[in-house]
Amino acid sequence: MTSVLSVKDLRVRYAAKGPEILKGINFDVLSDDFMAMIGPSGAGKSTLIRCINRLVEPTSGSINLLGKDVIALKTRALRELRRDVGMIFQEFNLINRMSVMDNVLSGRLGYTGNLRSLFRHFPKKDIDQALYFLDRVGLSDHINKRADELSGGQRQRVGIARALMQQPKLLLLDEPTSALDPKISREVMALIRGIAQELGVPAVCNIHDVQLAKEFCNRIIGLQDGIKKFDGETSTLRDSDLEDIYAMEVL
Amino acid sequence: MSITQPHSDAFTGQIDMRRNRHLKMALGWGMFILFATWCVNGTIIADTDWSRIGGRNGVLASVGRYISLDLGLLSELIIPTIETFMMACVGTVLGCFFSLPVAWLGAANVTPSKHILYPLGRFLMVVSRSVHEIVWALIFVSAVGLGALPGILAIAMRSVGFISKITAEAIENIDAKPVEAVRAVGGNNFQVMYYGILPQIYPVVLATVIFEWDINIRRSAVMGLVGAGGLGLLFFRQMNSFNYGGVTMVILAILMLIVLGEVISHYLRKAVI
Repeated sequence: MTSVLSVKDLRVRYAAKGPEILKGINFDVLSDDFMAMIGPSGAGKSTLIRCINRLVEPTSGSINLLGKDVIALKTRALRELRRDVGMIFQEFNLINRMSVMDNVLSGRLGYTGNLRSLFRHFPKKDIDQALYFLDRVGLSDHINKRADELSGGQRQRVGIARALMQQPKLLLLDEPTSALDPKISREVMALIRGIAQELGVPAVCNIHDVQLAKEFCNRIIGLQDGIKKFDGETSTLRDSDLEDIYAMEVL
Repeated sequence: MSITQPHSDAFTGQIDMRRNRHLKMALGWGMFILFATWCVNGTIIADTDWSRIGGRNGVLASVGRYISLDLGLLSELIIPTIETFMMACVGTVLGCFFSLPVAWLGAANVTPSKHILYPLGRFLMVVSRSVHEIVWALIFVSAVGLGALPGILAIAMRSVGFISKITAEAIENIDAKPVEAVRAVGGNNFQVMYYGILPQIYPVVLATVIFEWDINIRRSAVMGLVGAGGLGLLFFRQMNSFNYGGVTMVILAILMLIVLGEVISHYLRKAVI
């Protein structure tokens, strides 16, 4: 299997004199990975996942994604790279006053000119594709509803459809189930993994629910306080590893 | 225990405090009355030309002149009334256009430069509001001559301050999450603003614009006093020709227009929110 994403010695500080959030992270994502990133709150999972499409600027290190040196990209090239990376968020990050359809279509904005964006006039093939994905995530009855009229699980399905509209080559999932109840969480994870396998797209998934991570992901990385503590197949994760990842800091 | 028990020390302390408070209150009121008397004496009693007022009948007769309406003015009222209304509408729309860049500069989270353009945006907001609409009108009358155009420009300039300030504050208070999502799909700056920011701020902005339009009807009614067209100009002419009945007619037209604006903005606001 080929490597899609390769991160080397990644370091992040939000302020020049602030604490180091990520302290030299290395890992690779292969083309058939559905990888979980686990770790306690504040370990740096969200920061790490946002470095990959540079929603957060890394301080140093290197990121190679789909053969491109992410850190060197200028504005335009960066936007083109982001089009290839679908992202699903903890709080869904939908545009609440827009319809479900417009939210899903907004996944195509990277391919849409300003004039078309202004009138929300998306090409026919985008609309057809949006209808297909809305059906795939089970929302065909809610197309014209406003996004804020939906329940949490339904909103996350809109978020999934939006990410799929990009025809992504990598999926970044930032705690996709943390705002959902356990039953819906399982459904949403199953849906995402099913689609990822179907489309052959690798995924990196931040998740704090270890049970879900074990159930759905083939590989697990454990972060603690900006340091990688574990990296391996899900079956090799032992309780002692978990204790190491989630250990209280010893004073 | 009986209620006739003598006061304890704790009681006396509290009674003293109460007396103290009453004393302070009396002192405060006394000072207020002294100050008010001084103001009235200085501004009204000493500053009024009492001999010119004449008797009670003189005052009533002067006021009475306004009551005999000059109905002949009715046909002359129509065009200036429409002009006043249009001045308010066009001025508000123009003000909105000017407000957009100012709000963009003056919103801390989207401003292109925090040290130069942000203070500039904030400064423009203050300038717009601190110059009175009549002063704006005077400036534009001297710049572009008499008529409705200087009135429109004056109203637009005066509207920028409020609209852009509220808009900038709305932008500063947005939820960053949809913005992040639009950036993550590869959206450019325009798309981030149009999809990420605009849907969040437009109810506030629209309500503000409607409110400003309502106020602008009042403003455009007085623009004519300095030669910038509309009902104000007619008012000025009636006053100059001592046609008091005509003055009342103009005031009634202004009143009608303002009531109309009030009604329209009430329903518009309902429709928006």
